[in-house]
Amino acid sequence: MELTITKRDGTKELFNADRINRSIERAAFGMIDPIAKVTQVATDTKVTLYDGITTEELDLATINAAVQNIKENPDYDKIATRLLLKTVYKHVLGDYGEDQSQLKKLHRENFSAYVKKGVQDGILDSRMEKNFDLEKLASALDIERDELFIYAGLSSLLDRYSVKNKYQKAFETPQYLFMRVAMGNSYHEKDPTEWAIKFYEKMSGHEYIAGGSTNINAGVPNPALSNCFLLEIHDDMTHISKSVADVMLLSKASGGLGASITKLRATGSPLSSNNTTSSGPTPFAKIIDTAIRAIQRGGKKKGALCFYMENWHIDFPEFIEWKHNAGDDYLRMRTADTAVFISDEFMKRVEQRADWYMFDPKETPDLNELYGKAFSARYQEYVQMAEAGKLRMFKKVPATEQYRAILVALQTTSHPWLTFKDPINLRALNNNTGTIHMSNLCTEICLPQDKDNIAVCNLASLNLAAHLKKKQVDWQKLEESVRLAIRQLDNLIDINVLPVPEARKSDSENRAIGLGVMGFSDAIEQLGMPYDSPHTYDFTDKIFEFISYMAIDESANLAAERGSYKNFTGSEWSKGKVPIDTIEKLEQERGMALDVDKKSKQNWLDWETLRGKVKNGMRNATLMAVAPNANIGLVAGTTPGIDPRFAQVFSRNKISGKYLDINHNLVTELKNMNLWDMVKDKIIELQGDISSIEQIPPHIREIYKTSFSVSPYAFIEVAARAQKWVDQALSRNMYLEDRDMDKTMDIYYTAWRKGVKSTYYLHMKPRHTAEQSTVAVNKSAKLGKTGFAAVFKKTEAIVEAPQELATAAVEEPPIEEKNDQPESFDMPQDKVNDIKPTVTIPVDQTSKQIFSNVQTQIPLNGDQQPAASDKQKTEGHFHIKVINGKEYKVHMPSDPQEKFLCDGCQ
Amino acid sequence: MILGKASPEDMNLHPMRYQWAYDLYNQAVRNTWFPHEIALKEDLEDWSKMTEDERHAVKFTMAFFNPAELIVNRSIALGVYPYLKSPECHLYLAKQMWEEANHCVGFEYVLETFPFDREKIFNVHLETPSMIEKEKFVMKYLKRMTEDKLDIETAEGKKDFIRNLVATNIVMEGIWFYSGFMVALSFRQRNQLRNFGSMIDWVLRDESLHLKFGINLIQTVLEENIELLTEDFANEIRQLVIDGVNIETAYNKDLFPNGILGLNADYVNQYVQYVADRRLQELGLPKQYNVTNPAKWMSTATDVLELVNFFEQQNTKYEVDSGHTKKPTSNN
Repeated sequence: MELTITKRDGTKELFNADRINRSIERAAFGMIDPIAKVTQVATDTKVTLYDGITTEELDLATINAAVQNIKENPDYDKIATRLLLKTVYKHVLGDYGEDQSQLKKLHRENFSAYVKKGVQDGILDSRMEKNFDLEKLASALDIERDELFIYAGLSSLLDRYSVKNKYQKAFETPQYLFMRVAMGNSYHEKDPTEWAIKFYEKMSGHEYIAGGSTNINAGVPNPALSNCFLLEIHDDMTHISKSVADVMLLSKASGGLGASITKLRATGSPLSSNNTTSSGPTPFAKIIDTAIRAIQRGGKKKGALCFYMENWHIDFPEFIEWKHNAGDDYLRMRTADTAVFISDEFMKRVEQRADWYMFDPKETPDLNELYGKAFSARYQEYVQMAEAGKLRMFKKVPATEQYRAILVALQTTSHPWLTFKDPINLRALNNNTGTIHMSNLCTEICLPQDKDNIAVCNLASLNLAAHLKKKQVDWQKLEESVRLAIRQLDNLIDINVLPVPEARKSDSENRAIGLGVMGFSDAIEQLGMPYDSPHTYDFTDKIFEFISYMAIDESANLAAERGSYKNFTGSEWSKGKVPIDTIEKLEQERGMALDVDKKSKQNWLDWETLRGKVKNGMRNATLMAVAPNANIGLVAGTTPGIDPRFAQVFSRNKISGKYLDINHNLVTELKNMNLWDMVKDKIIELQGDISSIEQIPPHIREIYKTSFSVSPYAFIEVAARAQKWVDQALSRNMYLEDRDMDKTMDIYYTAWRKGVKSTYYLHMKPRHTAEQSTVAVNKSAKLGKTGFAAVFKKTEAIVEAPQELATAAVEEPPIEEKNDQPESFDMPQDKVNDIKPTVTIPVDQTSKQIFSNVQTQIPLNGDQQPAASDKQKTEGHFHIKVINGKEYKVHMPSDPQEKFLCDGCQ
Repeated sequence: MILGKASPEDMNLHPMRYQWAYDLYNQAVRNTWFPHEIALKEDLEDWSKMTEDERHAVKFTMAFFNPAELIVNRSIALGVYPYLKSPECHLYLAKQMWEEANHCVGFEYVLETFPFDREKIFNVHLETPSMIEKEKFVMKYLKRMTEDKLDIETAEGKKDFIRNLVATNIVMEGIWFYSGFMVALSFRQRNQLRNFGSMIDWVLRDESLHLKFGINLIQTVLEENIELLTEDFANEIRQLVIDGVNIETAYNKDLFPNGILGLNADYVNQYVQYVADRRLQELGLPKQYNVTNPAKWMSTATDVLELVNFFEQQNTKYEVDSGHTKKPTSNN
C-alpha cells in the first residue's frame, strides 16, 4: 500500500521509511544490538499508519511503538524518551538538522530569547529578565541532563509542569524548565544568578525536585507556589460561604486542601436565628465537593480536597458513608476525599473495649480545641453529662464497633484515612499559636489554623536514589542537597502570591516548609535490603535523622542571616526542642511508651549544640514532611515517597496518561544474571510478582517484593522510625491483600502504638482482574479441562500444525495440584498462633495483642532466606513450607475459589 | 446433569453441585459498579479536539455495544437460563443479566452526555450491513432454540444449546467485545477519553467473568455429555468461531474506513484473530490464525495491576463488599 504523509502546511508527500528508520537509529545510539531495536520500533510503527497521517501523528506513532516495547527491554524506554525529546527540541528551538553539537549550541543560545519572549508575552515574570545574568545562566545549562529522564517522567513533566506559549504549544525544554524554577525561587537573593545556578544543578540532576505547584508557577507572573492549604470551616453561615469561595480560589492557585468540618453543628441541632434545626455537615460538604470539581486547573492538576472530621461528632457515621459508590448522590462526595482525626482517648477505649460517645459540637465546642490529657478529662465530663441527661443529644456505641466500621469503610472505599490527633499535636513544635485540627490532602502536613489563619505549606523532595555512590549514601552530597532545598523553600515564601488573606498571613508568619524524601525503595533495592527487614528500619533511622539534623541546622543558619519567623517566640523550638525531644511528651500524656526503637543510629551528630542554636532562632515553623510524590517521583524516575514498589511491573493511571512502570533495578539484576529474557513474560503474567519464579535466586526475590507481599507491619515500622525525626508527618500509603477485619484492626492499632501520626490511602489487592491480553491465557487449562481436545487426540489433527498446543492443554494438571501461586515466603501475619518463626524482633517492646488470632510482630529476619530446595506440601487449609529445616504454615486464601479467581482469568 | 428440563428440585441451592458458579456469583457481586461514578467532563473536552475519523470510531463502537448488551441478555434469558437445572448457575446468570443491563445503561450514560445525534447512533445497527450481519449471526442460533421446537434432552437439543452459547458467549462477548474494548482503550493510551476508559475497565472486568462462566459451562456440558464430543461437532464449533471472525472483518472496515493514529482495520483484524485463537484453544480446538498480538500496549492497559493516582482518576479496582461477606467456612 502506498502511504502519503500530510505535512504541517497541508501538503502531501510519499511516506519515506528510511527517514523514520534513521530517526529511530539516532534514538538508539549507544545501545547493545541497536539494529534489532530499530527494526522492532519501525515495524510496530508501520502497522499503525494510515494513508494521509500527519507528520505530528507520525512522530507520536513512532514514540508509541517504542513505548509498547518497554516491557521487553527498558532500552526502548530510552528510545521513546529521546524521540519525545526530539519533538520538544524541534518545537522550541526549531530545526537543528538532527545534529547534536548544533543542538547544544542552539539550546544555549536560545535561552535568553526564551526568557525575553516569555516576559514580553506575559508568560514569564519580568523579574526573570531583570534580576539575572541570562548569558551566565545559559552557559550553566546542561542539555546532557535530559538523558536522566525515563519516558513516563519526561512525559509527565512536559504535560503537567511545562509552560506553554499562547497557542498552548511547547515553549520550554526540560532544562529551561528547571532553570525557570530555580530562577523563580531566587529573586530576592543578593546574587540571584549564582543561587539560581546552584538550585538548577540540584533539580536538573534530579537530586531534589520542587513540589508540583512550584514547578508549574515558578517564574510566571503572580506565582502561586504553595502545595498545601489547611482550612477550618466554622459553624456559621457566613464563614461556610466564605470557605466555599476560599476553597475555589486556593484550588485555582493549584494547591491541595485539607478542610476540617468538625465544628459544624449536628443534624437536628437547633438554629437560633429562625427556630429551626440544622441539616448537619453533609449538605455543606457537598457544595464544596461540587465546587472543586469545577476547578480543573488547565488539566495540569485537578482540584483536590480532603475533609477531616473528629469521630466524636454525632454525624460521624454519616461521614463514613460519604465515599460509597451507591446511595443518594447528595449525601456522597464524588471528588473530595475523607479522613478521620482520631484521639488517643478513642484508641484507648478501643483497647479497653469501652463505649464511645458522640456529641453535637454545638454542645461540646471545646473538644475540637483540646488534645492529650485535657481532651480525655473534658470528654469524660461530657460523657457524664450525657448519662445524666444534661445534653440535648448524644449517641453511644462500643468503641470497637466504630473502629470496625471505619476500617470496613476504608477497605471498601479506601476512605476515610486514619490520622491521629494527639501525636500530631503533642509532638508539634509549632502549635503555640493554636491547635492543629487536621492534616492536609495527603496527610503529611501538621499546621495549626483558625478563623484568621489558613495554614500553608511549601514542599520539595529529596531523591535518595540520586545520593548513592558505590553502594553507599553520599552523605556529603545529601547534606548539600538538604541545605540548598531548605534555602530554596525559604526563598519561595517571599515570592509566593496567595489569593486569600488568611493564607498569606499564615504563610508569612510561619514560613512553614516541608522537605520530603522520595526514592526510598529505589535506594534500598540498590543497597540490597528488603523493605521488610530490620536493616531497612535502621537505615530509615539513619537517613531521617541525618536529614532532620541538616534541615534544622540550615533553618537556624537562615534565622541568623534573615531573622526568625514571626511566631517563633513561644514555640517549642524557642525552648530548644527538636522533633526527637517531643516523643517524651506524647508518652507522658498518653500514659504509655511508644512501641518503637528510640535510639539514634547516627551517634556522631551533635544534637546538643544544635538545640542551643535552635533556641536562638528558627527561620521556619516546620521543616520536614514526606509527601506521596506520585508525580515528582515519576519525573525523577524513582519510587515515590517512602512507598514500596507497587509491583515489579505495573501501570499508572494518571492525568497525563497510562504508563507502564517496570523496575529498572530488577531488570539490571536479571540481565546481569542472564535471566531477563527467560522470565520477562512470566513477570507480566504474574502481574509483577516474582516471588514464585523459581529461576530467580531467592535473595533477589526477597529484595524485589510487591507492595502486597511486603508485611503491612513493615509499612508501619518504616513510618514509625522516620516519624521520630520528622517534625510534620509522612504520607503513609498502605497496601493489603488480606481482607480479614481483625488483622486490619490490629495493623492500624499498631500504627497508633508506634506513634505514627497519620496513614494515607489504603490499596486493597483486587481479587479479580480482567483477562490479560498480551500473555498466553487458557482458562480451560487452568481448570484442568480439555473441551473438544479429546476428539482430536483420538483422531489426530484436522488442520495444520498447532496441535501440540491443544494437547498441551490436556496435559496441564488441574489447579488443585498446583502450588505455584504467587505467595511470598513471609506471611506469618496470619493464623500462626502455634508456630512462629524465630525472629529477632527489632523493637524494644511488643504491642499488646488485643485482636484475636493476629500476630502483630514484624515477620522475617533478613537472613532467613528460603533455599531453592525448600519443600512445600499442602495440608488442608494451609500449606507447609519448610525453610531452613523449620516448618511454617503458610495461609492459603481461605476461599478456594479466590485462588482460582486471582489467576483464573489470566 | 447441568442441562435438562426444569423440575422442582432445581430450586434447592444445596447440596451445591457447581461450586464454581456460586463463587463466580460472589465475585460478580463484589465487582458491582455504577455509571454515575464516572465523570465525563474531561472526556468531553477531548471529544472537541478529536478528528472526524476518531469520532466515527467512538460512535460506531457505541452503536454496536449499546444494543449488543441487550442481545446478550436476550440470549441468556431465552437460550441459556431455561435449560439449566443448577440454581447456582441461575444466581450467576441473574447477576450477569443485571450487568448487561448496567453496561447498556453505562453506554447510555455516555450517549446522553456526549454531543451525539442519538437517534442516528441508535439506528446505526439497523442500517449498517456489517453490523446487521453480526446481530443476525447471534440471533440465528438463538432462533433455533426459540422458534424451532427444541428438546434439551436430545443430543441435537444439547448441540443447539452449545451452538447458541458459543455464538453469544465466545464469539460475541469473548471476541467481538474484546476487540471493541481494545479500540476503546486505545484512546486512553493516547491520553484521550480517560474516564470513558475507566468505564471500559469495569465493563471488561465484568466481561472477563462472563467469559469465565461461559467456558466453565461449556466444559461442564461437554464433560457430562460425552456423546457431544465428535469430530463433526468439534469442527462445526470451530467453523462457527471462524465465521464470527470473518463477519468481524467487514465490520472493522466500517469502523476504520481510513484509520486513525495507532489503529487501522488490518490492525484490529489481527487483534481479533489473535483473540479468536485464544478462544479456540480454550475450547480445546486447534488455533486457526497463529498471529501475534499487535497491541502490545494492552499490557499497560489491562495486564498488570494498576496504581491509580486516586485524586486524578476514578479508582476502578475497588470491590464493594470488603469486610462484609462471610468467607466460606467449609474448609476450616
